[in-house]
Amino acid sequence: MAKGELNNKVRRLRFDNGEMTQQQLADATGVTRQTIIAIESGKYAPSLPLAFRIARTFGVRVEDVFQYEDEDS
Amino acid sequence: MNKTQKSAIFCLVTFLFAVVVIAYPFISIFILKSWPESFFSRIWSMIAYFVFIAASIIFLRKKQSPNEPDFDERDDLIKKRAVIASFVSVWILLAGVTVIPRFVVGIKGSIPVWLLSFINLGVFLGALLVYSVAVLIQYGWRGKDGEG
Repeated sequence: MAKGELNNKVRRLRFDNGEMTQQQLADATGVTRQTIIAIESGKYAPSLPLAFRIARTFGVRVEDVFQYEDEDS
Repeated sequence: MNKTQKSAIFCLVTFLFAVVVIAYPFISIFILKSWPESFFSRIWSMIAYFVFIAASIIFLRKKQSPNEPDFDERDDLIKKRAVIASFVSVWILLAGVTVIPRFVVGIKGSIPVWLLSFINLGVFLGALLVYSVAVLIQYGWRGKDGEG
């Protein structure tokens, strides 16, 4: 099975959206602040519903927040 | 810290507290062969327990934000892995306490029945310790999860 890496622009988008705090994003998406921290640092890959909730909070598409890169590419 | 982390810390503190509470009379009665002396009077012991429980409830109920959920999908995943680690540890501990008496008292030896209660309690506390440590390790050492 091919292994890949999930990158994200959550931190960038937070700052572009009125310097939203991690706690504000966590409250808007219904998760704890620790989960937002883990997502931002790439330690945790969110489920699809959570990825959509994060994208909708910023008013962008999921692929604008998360990018999947194959090791081969 | 979120509720899952705080619960794990609470379990860890309870484990250490239980070890002290159980070890003191056990050592006193079965090794020193004398009845244990009380540190506090009955009233002060009750007050100490009450303060411990009240402080724990306040610690567990305090939220980072009013809208914070009790747990989310990542907490579920972390707890699931910790339960598996705890379950595996129960089997390892039970296998251990089944084999060790064979070497301590021999194959035809016997152990008192009351020792089974201590063994069961020990296995339960061991599983609790493994669960708490597994949760805290997954959140990252110092419980901060890379924040700050």
